Amino acid sequence: MIALADRVAAIALAEPQRIALVQGAQRIDYGSFVDAARRFAGCLHAAGCRPGDRVALIVPNRIEAAIAWYGAWIAGAAVVPLNAQARARDFAPWLRHAGARVLVHEAAGRDAIAAAAECDPPPLRVVLDEASAGSGDAIGWAQALSAAPLESEPLDPSALAAILYTSGTTGAPKGVMLSQANFAANVEAIVAYLALTGEDSIVSILPFYYSYGASVLHTHLAVGARLVIEPNLVFPHLIVETLARERASGFSGVPSTYALLLDRVPLADYDLGALRYLTQAGGAMAPALAARLRAALPGTALYVMYGQTEATARLTYLPPDRLDDKPGSAGVAIPGVRIAIRDEAGRDLPPGADGEVWAQGPGVMSGYWNDPEASAAVLQDGWLRTGDLGRLDEDGFLFLAGRRSDMIKTGAHRVHPLDVEEAIAELAEVAEVAVVGIDDATLGQAIKAVIVPAAGAAPDADRVKAHCRARLAAYKIPKQVEFVAALPKTASGKIRRALLIEPAAAQEAS
Amino acid sequence: MDHRQQVRQFVLKNFLFTDDANALADGDSLIGTGIVDSTGILELIGFLEETHGIRIAPEEMVPANFDSIDAISAFLARRLGA
Repeated sequence: MIALADRVAAIALAEPQRIALVQGAQRIDYGSFVDAARRFAGCLHAAGCRPGDRVALIVPNRIEAAIAWYGAWIAGAAVVPLNAQARARDFAPWLRHAGARVLVHEAAGRDAIAAAAECDPPPLRVVLDEASAGSGDAIGWAQALSAAPLESEPLDPSALAAILYTSGTTGAPKGVMLSQANFAANVEAIVAYLALTGEDSIVSILPFYYSYGASVLHTHLAVGARLVIEPNLVFPHLIVETLARERASGFSGVPSTYALLLDRVPLADYDLGALRYLTQAGGAMAPALAARLRAALPGTALYVMYGQTEATARLTYLPPDRLDDKPGSAGVAIPGVRIAIRDEAGRDLPPGADGEVWAQGPGVMSGYWNDPEASAAVLQDGWLRTGDLGRLDEDGFLFLAGRRSDMIKTGAHRVHPLDVEEAIAELAEVAEVAVVGIDDATLGQAIKAVIVPAAGAAPDADRVKAHCRARLAAYKIPKQVEFVAALPKTASGKIRRALLIEPAAAQEAS
Repeated sequence: MDHRQQVRQFVLKNFLFTDDANALADGDSLIGTGIVDSTGILELIGFLEETHGIRIAPEEMVPANFDSIDAISAFLARRLGA
């Protein structure tokens, strides 16, 4: 195994002037990138951070996030990239659960600062956009990068490389533990099937704190390609302008990304002749959307893919030349991965039969951080139970059919209904609440909250949404709030969520 | 009501779900914090176009014109020649 930090260092040595990352007018070459990462590693080392320690990041996509990530790896530490859109309510439990020794955050990150203060002992804070931070528990980014560079030691393949918190609930954070070997193997497989080389360049809007975004970062840096960071999709035409201006060869998105680009941007008006590949993951893409995309960009190969954070990122991909004869398929296992469909008892099912998707391979996690019970529930006999439902056809192509859980997929995000329910239940005027995902043309699913008001209370939708805004990431705020007299339940008292997804006659929508 | 107040009220009501004027400062980033997302920006532009009888061109749809109450006010002032 060659650790990713070593692959990137080798490129920096051979071609230091090759551009690694672009963000707006900023461009950083591989030589400067690795030098900055080594200096950050030196800073971590000087601060007492040792191999195995956890370095948390609360940083949106920007060049410094990548420097901090690779710097932590050079220092032998594990990276804990936290969802930067979350609020202090989530950050504090994650930081405590991970036992973060260091936290990198933006100067304006009030929630990050508040969460760090709730930790005992608090992590050392490294503050971006500040040359030097005055107080004893924080240092500025420029100061961090003035440290003497640390050379990377040979890394143990089984060493913890990252903990990725998945969409769980605040009370029970689930941190996926990934090793250096997990990352190296998954990157190798993706680089092979996308045929990535140093000549490639990709525009990325996917956050590095999601496994998909992280894999886009690592696969492109591993081959000496160029990654162009765009902050968000608020102005889709700016993304397409960047694709054209940078003559990018690649772009990655979730289904809603492509729906947005097709709906809002006249793609034919732009010269996208350099665009060689598009990748899509993060939920099934409707064959009709895939067809529109291919019609709009006929010279570009579309890679439909499937994976899980618990498997580093990628498990299967559909070779672009099979889109027509296997429409709707998530493809075949990537090199080194085996996929099986099994029944409730874990017995293999024949081709064509629906069951749970199980996976085995070098990208599969070693477990959830400090949670042997949750780990044992999904890791069995060297296989990962994905919780996704599907079938394999006679040719070994996977067709997905939803999830066993109630997880909501909205845009690029996964939302656990209980997480939103817990926040709403904090309001005194709420007696009961259930949160479900309803169909949305662009987002795939939108969040809807169904609320039984407390006796005598008359909550309004805005008050519920305002509370969610203060407590939750913006994408978790319900788009619809409905008030009902009672929630539909089974005889045993379990909420019948399927009934809530049907549009109600009288609903206060917004 | 001046342009700034109108935009403020729209953002407070539609994106922050409140009429508490202290919930947002005029210089606060709307996009970086997720207050305005890819759906919200269309609502915001629709509101500005309807209220002022203007068409906002694609080349005007950039963060510099919409990332804060200050930025939107300055953009409107230029467009309306106020």
